[in-house]
Amino acid sequence: MSQSAQPPISDRRLVAPVQEGTSARAGEPRNYVGIVRAVVLVVLAAVALTTPGFLSQPSILSLLTTVSFIGCVAVGMTLITISGNIMSFALGALVGATAMVFIVAANWGGFAFGLIAALAFAGLTNALQGFLIGWLRANPIIVSIAALALIYGVAEAFAAHGTIYAAAGANYGGFKGRVAGIPVEFAVFLCVTALAQFILSLTPFGRHLFLIGSSFRAAEAVGVRAWRAITGAYLWAGLFTAPAGIMLAIRYDAASMNYGMGYEYEAIAAVLVGGTVIKGGEGSVLRTLAGAIIIGVIQVVLVLQGLRTEWQYLIAGLIVLGVIALQTPGTRD
Amino acid sequence: MKRLLDDPHMRPLLILAACVVGLAVIDARDVLTLATAASSFETFATIGLVALGLGLTMMIREFDLSVVGMYSMAGCIAVVMGGTNAWLGLACALAAGLVGGLAQGWLIVRLRLGSVGVTLGGLLVFAGVAYVVTENRALPYENMEVALGLSAPVAGIFSIRSLVAIAVFAAAALVIGLTRYGRDIIAIGSDRRAAMTAGVNVNALVIGIFGFSGVCAALSGALLSYSLASASPAGLSDVIVPAAAAAILGGVSLAGGTGRPLGIAMGVLSLAVLRAGFNAVGAPPYVNEVAMGAILLIVAMLDGAYLTRRLHGLVRWRAH
Repeated sequence: MSQSAQPPISDRRLVAPVQEGTSARAGEPRNYVGIVRAVVLVVLAAVALTTPGFLSQPSILSLLTTVSFIGCVAVGMTLITISGNIMSFALGALVGATAMVFIVAANWGGFAFGLIAALAFAGLTNALQGFLIGWLRANPIIVSIAALALIYGVAEAFAAHGTIYAAAGANYGGFKGRVAGIPVEFAVFLCVTALAQFILSLTPFGRHLFLIGSSFRAAEAVGVRAWRAITGAYLWAGLFTAPAGIMLAIRYDAASMNYGMGYEYEAIAAVLVGGTVIKGGEGSVLRTLAGAIIIGVIQVVLVLQGLRTEWQYLIAGLIVLGVIALQTPGTRD
Repeated sequence: MKRLLDDPHMRPLLILAACVVGLAVIDARDVLTLATAASSFETFATIGLVALGLGLTMMIREFDLSVVGMYSMAGCIAVVMGGTNAWLGLACALAAGLVGGLAQGWLIVRLRLGSVGVTLGGLLVFAGVAYVVTENRALPYENMEVALGLSAPVAGIFSIRSLVAIAVFAAAALVIGLTRYGRDIIAIGSDRRAAMTAGVNVNALVIGIFGFSGVCAALSGALLSYSLASASPAGLSDVIVPAAAAAILGGVSLAGGTGRPLGIAMGVLSLAVLRAGFNAVGAPPYVNEVAMGAILLIVAMLDGAYLTRRLHGLVRWRAH
């Protein structure tokens, strides 16, 4: 299969990128998958738009808010996936731990101190994993599973599975409203997406990530210091994940390890549904934004159609499975 | 030391020995008891089979994420269907595991998809089925006879649950050690194209291993729900960490091509002994989690492809 050495820098196709030359089997029409994808998206849009109440303001606002938490994690996950390291199992735990660090630090030294401490904690925790993965070429799945166990273990030692509450005087009301008509959470998510896309598309670091994801050895052969780029990718993934934890802590004036539970699965689902290739070297944050919104829309439509919660879980799972089956043809080696 | 740890046959033994000796040094009187052994084998029954299925998929360079969902789905199906007849519930759970696993394997082979993506979809679907069959609540299992019988001690340190796990491990070890399937699995994991050229039926074997992994996860999920006398769609989800850790400690490499069922059993036993031992000395629960994470991290670092190169680099740098 053809893996171009040059990264698709200006790849702005949002959802239905037909991967040239990667059709599943020789002789099969190449845009078959693309057509099915387009049909699925059109059907989804039609169902959403004809669902009564979908276009109401509360429905849209709550959609945008819920998408934002997973979305930030998914943006971070995208960098890890593109750099060729599949996924991190520790990002969900990182969300909960970041929320705790934020509440503890903000209670002690004020809001700004809390922000800085939370970002520093998330960035460093992740960068350390990236360093082991890039410098020693340790296996990313195992390192992230180890980090997951360590984060939960240490958090349990400090908080004993409990919830930490914001100090009585803390007032984060200003961060719970809307900016220019959209929820603060979604504004933050958009900023995170824009920053990540800027880094991926317009900096040498971003180009190195695509190159490393396509072929680690080729990247090293042309003189890229791969371990630096991979450490950087994890560092940024931590920094992009941190806002999810901080925003959850602000929203509930509290923090617990339950906050991020399962986020790693939902985040990688958004990444894959968006069409970023699990093998690495190809993809974009804008696709992840689209993936997160598609999953969010599916969930809202299922709620509005009056399905019971348990059926929503099942149908959402089937749809994600279907989209994954359609969107990553021939990506195995 | 590194060479010994790299040997997939020695590593599990070494790690298990280190765990036992380490705990015995801390507190021999409380650790080296029959109660610790029995509690180790209970943990072995809970995570062992999941680790075996996951480990086999790792040996062929795939990764079955869906075991988490399968585990809780099978438990829920068993409790819902097995109200009057436990065997019926178990059969339904195993059938679901087999069908789910085979279907994922078929998708992976037929559509040439990455296994992480497909099994992620499988995980979400299985979790969804678990919510549907239980109607989103925790269900009690009324058949207390079965619940108590499964965990009742057999020969002091075993239970029916742990004996089942041991039997499956023994069967897998025999099949992989003595038949051509074992060599074929290693061949697929080492170089899939070469295996195909050499005449290995790669596709059938990949589908079969995912089916086996599904059945393993379903069997241990169903037995656990029976013995806990309850099933909940939300619980049971943290099984992937110990299962993956056990497979890695047992000498399975994510790069494929190495590992044996006996090694995986040893890896599971190491974690089980660690957990039971920490309980016996009265350590708080987080100690076990931190120890497991630390061990896993150290093994990941020792396995790092560039470890030797980096160490040489550091030595040269200091010599300057």
